[in-house]
Amino acid sequence: MVIVGGGLSAGMVARQLTAKGIEVLVLENGGDVRNSAAAKLPTQRDELRWATHTGLMQDGAAETYTWRHNRTDPSLAMRRLAVFLPGSGVGGAGNHWNGQAFRWEEYDTELRTRMETRYGKSSIPANMPIRDWGVSYSELEPYYDLFERLFGISGKAGNLRGKIMPGGNPFEAPRQNEFPQRPLEETEIGLIFRSAADKFGYKSFLSPAANSPDAYTNPDGMKLGACQYCGHCDRFICEAEAKATPSVLLYPLLARRPSFELRKFCHVIRIEHDAAGGQVRAVEYLDLLTGETFRQPADVVVLAAFTLSNTKLLLTSGIGRPYDAAANAGVVGRNFCYQTNAAISVYLPDRWLNPFLASGSTVTLIEDFDDDNFDHTGLGFLGGGFIAAGSGGGRPIAARGVPPGTPRWGTRWKQANADWYAHAGSVGFQGSSYPHRENFLDLDPDYRDAYGQPLLRVTFDMRENELRMAKYCAGKMVEIARAMGAARLGGLPEVTANFDTRGYQSTHITGGTIMGRDPATSVVSSRLQHWDAENLFVVGASVFAHNSGHNPTELVATLALRLGDDLVRYVGRPGRLA
Amino acid sequence: MEPSDPAKFDRRKFLQRTLVAAGSAVALAPRLIGADANDSSAPAAVPIPVPATPAEAETSSVYQTFSPDEAAFVEAMVNLMCPADALTPNGVDCGLALFIDRQLAGGFGKGERLYRRGPWRHGPAEFGYQLPLSPEDFFKNGLAAADAASRRLHGRNFADLDPATGDRFLQAVAEGQVSDERLPLAEWFNELVYPLFNQACFADPLYGGNKDKVFWKMIGYPGLPAVNGLNMAKYRGKPFPGAAAPKSIEDFS
Repeated sequence: MVIVGGGLSAGMVARQLTAKGIEVLVLENGGDVRNSAAAKLPTQRDELRWATHTGLMQDGAAETYTWRHNRTDPSLAMRRLAVFLPGSGVGGAGNHWNGQAFRWEEYDTELRTRMETRYGKSSIPANMPIRDWGVSYSELEPYYDLFERLFGISGKAGNLRGKIMPGGNPFEAPRQNEFPQRPLEETEIGLIFRSAADKFGYKSFLSPAANSPDAYTNPDGMKLGACQYCGHCDRFICEAEAKATPSVLLYPLLARRPSFELRKFCHVIRIEHDAAGGQVRAVEYLDLLTGETFRQPADVVVLAAFTLSNTKLLLTSGIGRPYDAAANAGVVGRNFCYQTNAAISVYLPDRWLNPFLASGSTVTLIEDFDDDNFDHTGLGFLGGGFIAAGSGGGRPIAARGVPPGTPRWGTRWKQANADWYAHAGSVGFQGSSYPHRENFLDLDPDYRDAYGQPLLRVTFDMRENELRMAKYCAGKMVEIARAMGAARLGGLPEVTANFDTRGYQSTHITGGTIMGRDPATSVVSSRLQHWDAENLFVVGASVFAHNSGHNPTELVATLALRLGDDLVRYVGRPGRLA
Repeated sequence: MEPSDPAKFDRRKFLQRTLVAAGSAVALAPRLIGADANDSSAPAAVPIPVPATPAEAETSSVYQTFSPDEAAFVEAMVNLMCPADALTPNGVDCGLALFIDRQLAGGFGKGERLYRRGPWRHGPAEFGYQLPLSPEDFFKNGLAAADAASRRLHGRNFADLDPATGDRFLQAVAEGQVSDERLPLAEWFNELVYPLFNQACFADPLYGGNKDKVFWKMIGYPGLPAVNGLNMAKYRGKPFPGAAAPKSIEDFS
């Protein structure tokens, strides 16, 4: 069995398979970062190197993406990757995530049914192809639970077997078990946000987190250290191994299993497809250490690369019908979704916010306006997101707030930085992104990567539904910000069309190889099995049929664990999985 | 900044023709020189990563990439943007010019992580930098263009302007009120110069700026903690004592 990409999904699939002695080969195009300068003190604490210059991310000089707002526009290369940041190396983006670990809502994988049942069929715009994914929450729950124990997720249950629990998130999908670890310490701004949100009757809680509050040993005997709240999580490797990541919890375990092989610096170029036979036969890859191209035969191939790489590999390999937006036909590349974000700064001169005392998940939030947790009747949009306050570490190049009207340099600029650094924070909104017929992925006809292949082209903009949703939810966010007693607020947030790729927004990008029950509108089945090649499977956020207001990581890992068990069945009895 | 053969190239007439033909002021000269053809031209050379040399940054104040004229511009600029006052010494003494020189001479300036293959197109600003120049070359060409604008508007080089005039000039550049016939000066300042200035102030002193952690002390950033596990609750909502004496990478080495 060959797995393309050595990140979180691959590690989870391989964990299930190698436990049964099934032979697994992972092809990863990067190296191992676990003992590199990125993972050791003091070089770990280098904002310029790892955050500003994105030292752990995919090298955009070799492979980037092109973008256009509409399919009638010419595309432009994103010459410096900034708006999202694909990971690189063993463990992938799972190494340098913040650690916010959400289950999605109970209705999320049956979204179309939910909307039709609640608001009627006519509530879903014709250009919004939301789908049922073909899997229910109750099927996923045991895998959510397993993931949370493997990664030592910290938090407080809000819905334990259907019973709403004080202190947790009442909108949470019902869980069989309490979180394996206690919640993290909360930030000062989180507490201020909490008391403001409580005045409105909203239900505030602390984000579930993969940042371990205490030393932890998981069911595999793998260990996490205790979080030191150093403020260097996202874009960084945790030198204390207190952040649950594939390179700490999965790959060292897999390396001890005799049926597992990891081949680093292997860039997969193509999957060999026998269309008539309905099978894939081999994987073609460039060995970056020798410069030679190899053909690796495979009984089963699992695509577990970054969201966009899964789509690109299917397109460059000619597997599955590419999506044609004009005809609304074809499947590969459709339902590309992003995340709809907004934020507002709050200035609290009398409060010591100390933004540097933080982990990546010390975030206090409410889900009262998340997804379909509120009644959308008459609102003119679907979807929503969470509203949150917290700190990601207050790293000084990127995370300093000064009030609007402050000059951009000079003594007054310096004085404003001195006055506000410890007293400025922000309230943020992270919203859903529902699919739109005109948001999709395909191969760019003009631009190529360092390996001679086309760049993947993104056609995406904020469409009417997301603009309306963001306006409504940002309004709720501003109300809470005002209630926090801020002396001043930053500029009012506005989500607009003409999507801007110059600054970081989110790496939560989804779709392109979506799952479903209908081969006419999905790339893989609800068992993640490709419709046109029985022994080809795809896993990762590329199979999500929409993006919610929740971070994707926990659902990515959950689907990968489930696929691992399905593949054990498949190896015993190949064929179409029911 | 001059065409390679001025005798054969009357730029003013050329631009006049451009405006009539394009019917829009946004049609920039490069489109008309043929870059609007969609087929890929030969790819630009793949940039060769040059490692930054932070060790040298600490031991030497000799510029690695700036000419004397370029150094004069950058020193005047960082002293204007960071004047000596009660908060910090002037920009040069804070190492800001040295930081910018080192960044441009190193991997960043040479185009590390920057995709530099054609085709080259102009498009909406939302898609960011779209020029074939390395950041080092873009910085230097922008600097020359800004100096030319300074001479045109104020009769002298930027480095020779009095601080108040220099400040107004930089504001005008940042706001897009100073134009150059070829180079996008506002984009040059806002998306290359200003981020470098900001990084020079707040990056670890390892890279030559933020000398003596002066900017970290100014804002109360404690620098690099080894551990904060107990501090998280102990100093929640209270002044943090470590903010007075920040720790840098060198302090832990």
